[in-house]
Amino acid sequence: MAAGGGGVADPLSPAGVPCAFSPQSQAYFALASTDGHLRVWETANNRLHQEYVPSAHLSGTCTCLAWAPARLQAKEGPQRKKRKSEAIGTSNQADLLALGTAVGSILLYSTVKGELHSKLISGGHDNRVNCIQWHQDNGCLYSCSDDKHIVEWNTQTCKVKCKWKGDNSSVSSLCISPDGKMLLSAGRTIKLWVLETKEVYRHFTGHATPVSSLTFTTIRPPNESQPFDGITGLYFLSGAVHDRLLNVWQVRSENKEKNAVMSFTVTDEPVFIDLTLSENKEEPVKLAVVCKDGQVHLFEHILNGYCKKPLTSNCTIQIATPGKGKKSTPKPIPILAAGFCSDKMSLLLVYGNWFQPTIERVALNSKEPHMCLIRDISNCWAPKVETAITKVRTPVMNSEAKVLVPGIPGHHAAVRPAPPQTKEVESKRKLGEKEVSIEERLGALDIATKKEKDDLPQTNSFPVLLTQGLESNDFEILNLTKRLQGHPNSAILMVQWLKCVLTVHASYLSTLPDLVPQLGTLYQLMESRVKTFQKLSHLHGKLILLITQVTASEKTKETTCPAQKAKLVYEEESSEEESDDEIADKDSDDNWDEDEEEKASEKDEDVDEENEEEEGDDEDKDEENGEDRDAASEKGLNGDSDLDPENESEEE
Amino acid sequence: MVEEEGIRVVRCGGSELNFRRAVFSADSKYIFCVSGDFIKVYSTATEECVHILQGHRNLVTGIQLNPSNHLQLYSCSADGTIKLWDYIDGILIKTFRVGCELHALFTLSCAEDSVFVMINKGKPDVFQLASVKLPKSSSQEIEAKELSFVLDYVNQSPKCIAFGNEGEYVAAVRDFYLSVYFFKKKTTTRFTLSSSRNKKHARNNFTCVACHPKEDCIATGHKDGKIRLWRNFDDEKKYTYTCLHWHHDLVMDLAFSVTGSSLLSGGRESVLVEWREAAEKNKEFLPRLGATIEHISVSPAGDLFCTSHSDNKITIIHRNLEASAVIQGLVKDRSIFTGLMIDPRTKALVLNGKPGHLQFYSLQSDKQLYNLDIIQQEYINDSGLIQIELTKAAFGCYGNWLATVEQRQEKETELELQMKIWMYNKKTQGFVLNTKVNMPHEDHITALCFCNAEKSESSTLVTASKDGHFKVWILTDDSDIYKKAVGWTCDFVGSYHKYQATNCCFSEDGSLLAVSFEEIVTIWDSETWELKCTFCQRAGKIRHLCFGRLTCSKYLLGVTENGILCCWNLLSCALEWSTKLNVRVMEPDPNSENIAAITQSSVGSDLFVFKPSEPRPLYIQKNICREEVLWGVFVPRDVPESFTSEAHQWLNRSQFYFLTKSQSLLTFSTQSPEEKLTPTSKQLLAEESLPTTPFYFLLGKHRQQQQNDKLNEALENELVQLPLTENIPAISELLRTPAHVLPSASFLCSMFVNSLLLSTETKSAEENPDDVDMEEEKESDDSDEENNFTEKIQDTNNTDLEEDIIHQLSKSEEKELKKFRKVDYSWIAAL
Repeated sequence: MAAGGGGVADPLSPAGVPCAFSPQSQAYFALASTDGHLRVWETANNRLHQEYVPSAHLSGTCTCLAWAPARLQAKEGPQRKKRKSEAIGTSNQADLLALGTAVGSILLYSTVKGELHSKLISGGHDNRVNCIQWHQDNGCLYSCSDDKHIVEWNTQTCKVKCKWKGDNSSVSSLCISPDGKMLLSAGRTIKLWVLETKEVYRHFTGHATPVSSLTFTTIRPPNESQPFDGITGLYFLSGAVHDRLLNVWQVRSENKEKNAVMSFTVTDEPVFIDLTLSENKEEPVKLAVVCKDGQVHLFEHILNGYCKKPLTSNCTIQIATPGKGKKSTPKPIPILAAGFCSDKMSLLLVYGNWFQPTIERVALNSKEPHMCLIRDISNCWAPKVETAITKVRTPVMNSEAKVLVPGIPGHHAAVRPAPPQTKEVESKRKLGEKEVSIEERLGALDIATKKEKDDLPQTNSFPVLLTQGLESNDFEILNLTKRLQGHPNSAILMVQWLKCVLTVHASYLSTLPDLVPQLGTLYQLMESRVKTFQKLSHLHGKLILLITQVTASEKTKETTCPAQKAKLVYEEESSEEESDDEIADKDSDDNWDEDEEEKASEKDEDVDEENEEEEGDDEDKDEENGEDRDAASEKGLNGDSDLDPENESEEE
Repeated sequence: MVEEEGIRVVRCGGSELNFRRAVFSADSKYIFCVSGDFIKVYSTATEECVHILQGHRNLVTGIQLNPSNHLQLYSCSADGTIKLWDYIDGILIKTFRVGCELHALFTLSCAEDSVFVMINKGKPDVFQLASVKLPKSSSQEIEAKELSFVLDYVNQSPKCIAFGNEGEYVAAVRDFYLSVYFFKKKTTTRFTLSSSRNKKHARNNFTCVACHPKEDCIATGHKDGKIRLWRNFDDEKKYTYTCLHWHHDLVMDLAFSVTGSSLLSGGRESVLVEWREAAEKNKEFLPRLGATIEHISVSPAGDLFCTSHSDNKITIIHRNLEASAVIQGLVKDRSIFTGLMIDPRTKALVLNGKPGHLQFYSLQSDKQLYNLDIIQQEYINDSGLIQIELTKAAFGCYGNWLATVEQRQEKETELELQMKIWMYNKKTQGFVLNTKVNMPHEDHITALCFCNAEKSESSTLVTASKDGHFKVWILTDDSDIYKKAVGWTCDFVGSYHKYQATNCCFSEDGSLLAVSFEEIVTIWDSETWELKCTFCQRAGKIRHLCFGRLTCSKYLLGVTENGILCCWNLLSCALEWSTKLNVRVMEPDPNSENIAAITQSSVGSDLFVFKPSEPRPLYIQKNICREEVLWGVFVPRDVPESFTSEAHQWLNRSQFYFLTKSQSLLTFSTQSPEEKLTPTSKQLLAEESLPTTPFYFLLGKHRQQQQNDKLNEALENELVQLPLTENIPAISELLRTPAHVLPSASFLCSMFVNSLLLSTETKSAEENPDDVDMEEEKESDDSDEENNFTEKIQDTNNTDLEEDIIHQLSKSEEKELKKFRKVDYSWIAAL
């Protein structure tokens, strides 16, 4: 995988700190910040996995880092005797991380154990280490330094295997060929070494400034007709300090060609490069270049021979803060690193400050030439110790969330006019638009209530207002529904007005074409409010039964079940009452209780009379009671559902 | 691609971590826990799994450090073996075959060659504690049949047995009894709690036991939340106990700190209580640990504690009661209502987690990513409380929306329902509540699904409920003059003859909605919400419903309670085919036409993979597991595999995971077990080499030398001690017998010298000088002992004059003895 920021040493710039994704599944992101701390982040949940401070972090800050290939496991202690039984390897877990320091030492850090594993010093560099590369197969480590040398380390023994002079100036970057037999090194010029003999195989002109990154872009030559010797025909990419061009070079069989094949242009110095290797001729190379200005440039190109003009990026990704209101303008958020996910269709972006970066997986859309993501990272500064331990994330629940309770429009489907015209959407919109006028009217209503506060004439004045409202604008009804949704006590009065309005202005209302959808919300509200009515009527019946039995036993008369008559009385009431009144009952509990008591007392009297009149078998009566109750509830139901027919009948 | 093996069912992580007490390594760097057939080695610093020790063929039931070598670990398993591991390299060293099922393992530092195991003979709930002598042998597999019984009729849980005071006694509890067995005296004393005799419903059953490491003190935990500290228990009459009471519910586990200065206890309150100096007023708490504490263990170094919790978690706690790390497996505390889902954003497996939470579990790294707190109410961990349950959840539109349903039902009629619809806020990278719906339906919600069609411009959510309705919710613009907002509103309510709606699902392109009403499947047009057609097979209620994908999108599949799998053709509105299969789980693969169905029979569960267009299944695997499979899900692969054989092709695009009734997560793998592991020969190992620091030069060298010296000494000690203790009874006799009964010194002296002479004769001359030094040391120790002894005698008999004289005599005698010894030694040395 790619590593970035090799040669950049500006401590103040947020971009350009050494960082790398763990190989294969990119589960971790290691970042060595300028304060000398090594932090490893989990990419999947953006959590700080571990933090390590090398003992010499102030003198020898980390200059480059590289993850070991996944198979390389840390082994502890001295070599033990060979045992007969087989050791059991753990899964392909990323473990070792090599850190190069400014004083020339190389640290191997084990992320599994969370401690320093080895320190490579003896016979190594005596100046700043610029780049580290792991060999993919044999566990060797290659490092280059300002002391002009390249060192090959044996990590099993932690000893220098080979050390040779790589350049006349400092060597700034390294890359191992896909077959593992060649090594690219770069100071200002780029050299290709044969690893076995440590001889220079090819020279390339390189850049005017020190090369900061080197990567092979292909693993197979484009021309497959010739036999492949492992290196000829391959392309590689180089980026340099203060250079806005990335050059692509091809390793040719003849030794003459030393210039770049083609180049990519970016907006600023590249600090982190990642690419997807193309496995066949048809598949383009995808390249993600993070620049020092915090942008990511994506290139998609099939490498095939010369191209004189520098290629511009297919897509640019930028990240900015939202910029709340008019006060603050959006500010760009620098992107620190970008890595392709294994499916090659999405990109892991690391952005923000190196202290607490945010890692996000972004799906790539090749169509758009420019992507600007708006992200709010202001809360990233908050300490997250608690979540680090408990692993609990709390999603935001604020008051802005919409709340739907039964009866509020939106909880149940809107009532549509009988012929299915697709108007309901329009009406919804309209409701929104008329908000202001309703507000005004509300204000007017409030004034009216203040004026006539103490006495009941409200009942007169409000219907007047209401009817005016209705005549002028039907949406006043909505106003009413809103009020009804409020406190139950205020709804009692409302219901009475509504009843009057509906009865008085029925003829007018029936002339309105879109009455049904408009009164629909009112209807739904009523329905939801009287939903418990059926249960209450059951309770009512039972209570009466109980009370009458109590009174009957007190009077020490024959114990007859008296509820039959009571039911009848009740039925009458329910049928007599307007459904609106029922609502009123339900709306206020106190009121309902009073009513209930009154009714009960009334009924008691009735029942007593009845008791004297009627005598019969208990069983029969029970049955009858049951029937009655059913009948009553049915009535109740009818009463509820009557509302709509009523309206309709009023229309007629 | 390597050679393709048959498809095997493999456990894919999420295994149980809280089965037994976790064990710390001696340096507290690692923590070991049993996990199914494996032992996992975790780093306490990074929470990472360093090694998985595998080799047992059945459940691992106990692990203990080897007391004689703290770099080794003993483990016992239900397969009847005890294995010895090198945990740093993850190597199996030895296997001892015991032969009978082992249920727990204990080791003692004083009994190096034997370990204690719990075995079960005869009746299912009668367990015995036995010691197993581990024979010394160089071979890898050793038979260890030498069993000697220690205690009979013990509790199955290893928490109910504890060894105390360096192995002098063992305490075991069961029901209302505490039995203590003294190894030296070979006697068992049994204590019964007094209240248990008369009260039938006494709640003071013993639940766990712990022994003080230094003193004769036993702590027992009880069902009523009390902790009793027993002392003087070597006397059946004079024993005493004190009570510590803080827990209101049963004490799950107890542990003493290494020095014994504090006692740790935990229970269902999920609070770790530290009792300092065993006093009731000196309590320290670590609250809000998340779930019931099941086990507590203490590191041998004393710097760390750890608690295992019922939600499959191990919390590592510092000595100062600060949680430092959490090793969290797949939460398995409660039943899974939501089923298995894949979060399109993180590709994590999503299911019920902690109470009221959704857990996001990374299948690649076998780690929990996080728990999303949906209900956001403090969870009160108490039995008998009816909690709010998270019953349904669904992701919509590439993970931009998440709908959750929570319910709480105390009584039949008191159902509380709430649906929350969360929006993923890209700016803050987290979920934000968008719409909350109280009582979206009047009865339980049975199904919840989003319309995930790519081209659909408006988002749609459908809920089906037992109240006979299904509701369609759409996203509408709720903007007003104050703010811009979107919210969900109900767009349509559908029903069919007052039948209960049981399932709902959208077709792949989102144009059709299928809702099943008990036995009848109804198809609705998603544009106009018109009922298009109905299918009825009269074969029982519909259990699962799904549309075919890609080329098979014209098919609709339904599974009924009576075990019939039906496939309807939507174009001809006719039954295409049906078959008799008792399907429990039916899952479509999002990336292909394949549909996986898992059937349930009396012997086990079978897997069928088929395409709706072809009645012949693509792949059948019988007996994938013995228990019932509850949920399954296809997880799209990041990089498609390229299996060519017909049986493997269905695994190319996606991987299939399923969850069984015992909540183990399983999957299908094509790799052979050997292939999965990197062979050691290939594996590259990097040596650890750290340079020496100045401190090392100052101290390390010196210490190392000392250590070497000590080591040598120890070696020599062994050499010398053997003949001393075993071959020379005269010396031990001399030193053990009370001074006042000893014969005259002159007699003793000759005997003593004689014995020494005998012993030295057997040795070679070269060893002699060293031996002498050692012996000298040893003897001076012994004489100290003698002094102590005489002092004691003085205490007891100081009134007796005669005795006093004898005592004085003995002192002088002893001086003489010493003198003689010195003389003797020089003489021997001169030899």
